[in-house]
Amino acid sequence: MKRWIGWTVSVAVAIGFLLPLIWMLHASFRPESAVFAGGFRALLSGHGLGLGNYVVAWRRAALGIGLLNSLLQIVGILGLGLLFNSMAAYALARLEFPGRRGLFALMLVLLILPVEVLVVPLLLTVRDLGLTGGHGRTLAALILPFAVKAFNIYFLRQHFLALPRDLEEAAVVDGAGPFRIYWSVALPSIRPALATVVVLDVLTHWSDFIWPLVVCTREETRTVQLSLANLFTQPPIQWGQILACAVMVTLPVLLLFRLAQRHIVASDLGAGIKD
Amino acid sequence: MNLSCVSKRAVPWLFLAPALSLLGIFTLLPMLRAAGWSFTNADLLQVDAARWIGGANYSDLLADPRFRQAFFNTAFFALMVVPVQAALAFFLALWVNRPERHWRWLRTVFFIPVVVSMPVLAVLWTMLYQPMRGDQMGLINSLVTHLGLPAQAWLQNPRLALPALAFMSIWQGLGFQMMIFLAGLQNLSVDQLEAAKIDGANSRQRLWHIIVPAMRPSIIFVLTATLILSFRLFVQPYLMTRGGPEGATVSLIQVIYETTFLGREVGMACAGAMLFLLLVAALTLLQRLLAREVRS
Amino acid sequence: MALVCFCGRLARSLLRTVLIAIVMAGCGPDRSHDPRIVRVWCQQGQESENQAMRAMAAAFNEAHAVQGLEVQLTFFPDFQYTEKVSIAAAARDLPDVLALDGPTVAQFVNARLLRPIAETFSAEELDDFAPTLRAQGTIDGVLYALGAFDSAMVLYYDRDMLARAGVQPPAGFAGWNWDEFLAACAQLKAAGFDPVSLHLDITGDEWYTYAFSPVVWSAGGRLISTDGRHVLGVLNRPQNAEALRRWQEVFEQDYASRSPIDPDPFGNGKTAMDWSGHWMARSHLEHKGARLGAMPLPSLGDQPVAACGSWCWGITRNARHPDDAALWLRWVTDPVHGIQPIVEANGAVPARRSAYPLFPDYDQTPFLLFRELQAHFGQARPRTPFYPTLTQQFAAALRDIARGADPQARLDRAAAQVQRLIDRKEAQP
Repeated sequence: MKRWIGWTVSVAVAIGFLLPLIWMLHASFRPESAVFAGGFRALLSGHGLGLGNYVVAWRRAALGIGLLNSLLQIVGILGLGLLFNSMAAYALARLEFPGRRGLFALMLVLLILPVEVLVVPLLLTVRDLGLTGGHGRTLAALILPFAVKAFNIYFLRQHFLALPRDLEEAAVVDGAGPFRIYWSVALPSIRPALATVVVLDVLTHWSDFIWPLVVCTREETRTVQLSLANLFTQPPIQWGQILACAVMVTLPVLLLFRLAQRHIVASDLGAGIKD
Repeated sequence: MNLSCVSKRAVPWLFLAPALSLLGIFTLLPMLRAAGWSFTNADLLQVDAARWIGGANYSDLLADPRFRQAFFNTAFFALMVVPVQAALAFFLALWVNRPERHWRWLRTVFFIPVVVSMPVLAVLWTMLYQPMRGDQMGLINSLVTHLGLPAQAWLQNPRLALPALAFMSIWQGLGFQMMIFLAGLQNLSVDQLEAAKIDGANSRQRLWHIIVPAMRPSIIFVLTATLILSFRLFVQPYLMTRGGPEGATVSLIQVIYETTFLGREVGMACAGAMLFLLLVAALTLLQRLLAREVRS
Repeated sequence: MALVCFCGRLARSLLRTVLIAIVMAGCGPDRSHDPRIVRVWCQQGQESENQAMRAMAAAFNEAHAVQGLEVQLTFFPDFQYTEKVSIAAAARDLPDVLALDGPTVAQFVNARLLRPIAETFSAEELDDFAPTLRAQGTIDGVLYALGAFDSAMVLYYDRDMLARAGVQPPAGFAGWNWDEFLAACAQLKAAGFDPVSLHLDITGDEWYTYAFSPVVWSAGGRLISTDGRHVLGVLNRPQNAEALRRWQEVFEQDYASRSPIDPDPFGNGKTAMDWSGHWMARSHLEHKGARLGAMPLPSLGDQPVAACGSWCWGITRNARHPDDAALWLRWVTDPVHGIQPIVEANGAVPARRSAYPLFPDYDQTPFLLFRELQAHFGQARPRTPFYPTLTQQFAAALRDIARGADPQARLDRAAAQVQRLIDRKEAQP
């Protein structure tokens, strides 16, 4: 009985809290004249719903290209980032070398740097490196500056530090060099942390706005958020299509989140807070 | 023998090289250039022709009415978001910190707006806040009129626009802060709580005398992180109100952006970025000092 | 051994990522036999203008299909256009041909982003263009931009409403002076009409500068010195403040309609007069027919002054095929291929004399007035590289003055802001 009450309360709270998103989904299927109609009662009606907005929005916002660009950006960032960040984290956690403490302090300083501060000088740097204009070059500009992040290095370092040393010591006894220990012993042991980093990076870069706004100068290089923003500001403004585009932009990350949920343990996030 | 000696010392640097080079080129280098440019009159389209003008960018920026308005807007926004979001997240975390399945499910529900990206939400909430035109109106006005209050032009009213943005931002980020508090709650010493229960402490006393003090590191972290995130406000005013109406929602980052791409003054924009960085650094330092104080 | 193994793995995963990226980015139809593409950016105007532009591009592509030349037209919303162009310029990725608002030509020339275009046209063709249009695109004696049309601002009025209120509109091409204008507004208001629509709800800054600079100009004032370096002491001259104080009377007496939802109160029959321009001519004719009248903007001096200047076209310095870009420039300013479609869509003043015969309806109201104004009373907005800030500050000042701020104080502040910018940008080493 108590469980039944518990579920009812939870569902009611969930509906109330997610009402904006529920509305977004429902209204995206409505014809243009009905998008803003009637408030609550309209939410319950199935009258006149159709996929029209989705078809037109896909074309007008060039979502195919937008999704591809966002995907490539994230694959690039993850591909390079997982490797480079974990290598650096391992070095800071397990390897002895002069200047280690200083380097770690530098990481801590870089940790707080918001991307908004970097936008202007980074654009000019990227421009000077020739990474603007064409498709491949813009992708490089979207990937390279963000593959390595101080936060990821810091986060992974904490997890490397928390590993019990016996596995590594056993590997040393077996004659393994530092690379092998890193690759075959340490890295697999922090798989949950790596998964967390993947999810956080995907969430961050899927919703990237100010950097792509500034670096994607051509239609064919736009990422998914820019496609939506473009549809939002280009006349004729069709609200139903904008909503459909918003839904299509959100679905991939929601799916990923659903799949990766079991990897995000709340305590993992908490580990980052203990200094 | 020689080879292994050399490679042994080089090993850490081999591990670090890729990360350090990327960080160097794409983070450190731009920051140094920005610091340099902030003392020049660098123009966006002719950066190389920049000339030294000392602190003129800084003094002009601090005296600029639009910059000041942006600062007060952003600070006011932070003031609205930080306490409300942190408090709500804390109590939500307490509420859902129970083992039953429906509570764990609810945690995911609260987290969903965090997963939906901010530009999408900015577009959505622009529509939710639509003013009344005949019988067509946004969902918020539907709600409001159902409660008997008059419908508003939320984003077009200079006094309501910023609070409207704050409300939406609180809703969006709630889940994330809640997760961090949950993590802290789950790390609490169960023994301490049990002992208190046995000693006859009621839930309110348990809350204020055991839970809150033990959660201080998380609380400080959440407050600081939310504060810094609030100051980075850009997407919402850019997409929802374009800084209007009449500058009521212009944010700091937006002013830096406009200075760069409308005014084309890279020098001044970099000065703004440096000031912003100082602010963030100060807040972070404050957090670490407070956190250290907790531990001692 | 492990090092080699490790490096191998590292290289392989890197290579994999990079390969995927390249393959997917390059994946697409084989473009080696594709036509040469001229990238063109254009601001988004009214839908009729946009359609005309698209048709023009399609016609160009058809006419040049044999040469393998194609134009790729991209539109940007008006309010975002400057921003997008700046971003692209910063990234050194500007299109080949750019539509530019007249007053902004100076800053792009200053940044060395445009090519001289005088060679694209023969001497007779250049002569065919209206002098104001050539002046608009000429900086330091070199021609960088030419447009297909020029703008004109007038005071539209509804003959019926004025007659019913007992207001006599001026005859011929004459306009009112400011006293007459205010008196007419008073009479209209007494008769129960909304006197005039000033479109204050427009969010962009440029409208304010464009629409209300004539108020200052007609009183003999300027916004910036002739050498383009001094705003303090020029913009905030007491005469300008006085002119704006008289402008402020329109708001003090509540003559300006304030209907935020309706973008066209005159066309919809709510106001008696409309402070507007050529872009509304066709729409107003449709709504009012013979009832439509037009007169020059009220003047604070002896003569009417009209703002002119509008969008024109320039070729960027980084255009890969400047000759192809020039072909588009010629097309878009050609009387038949370029001027006719766009002017039919927006009712503006044709840029070239040889195009006038193409518009038989241009010898009636209000088009005849447009030509007259442009020929004799047109004044272009200041040609200075500091225009963006100048217009932003001036517009902000006008907004505050419309809401009751003291004109002199507000102009002082605006002039000081702009002067500070000029001083920064002009800093001597």
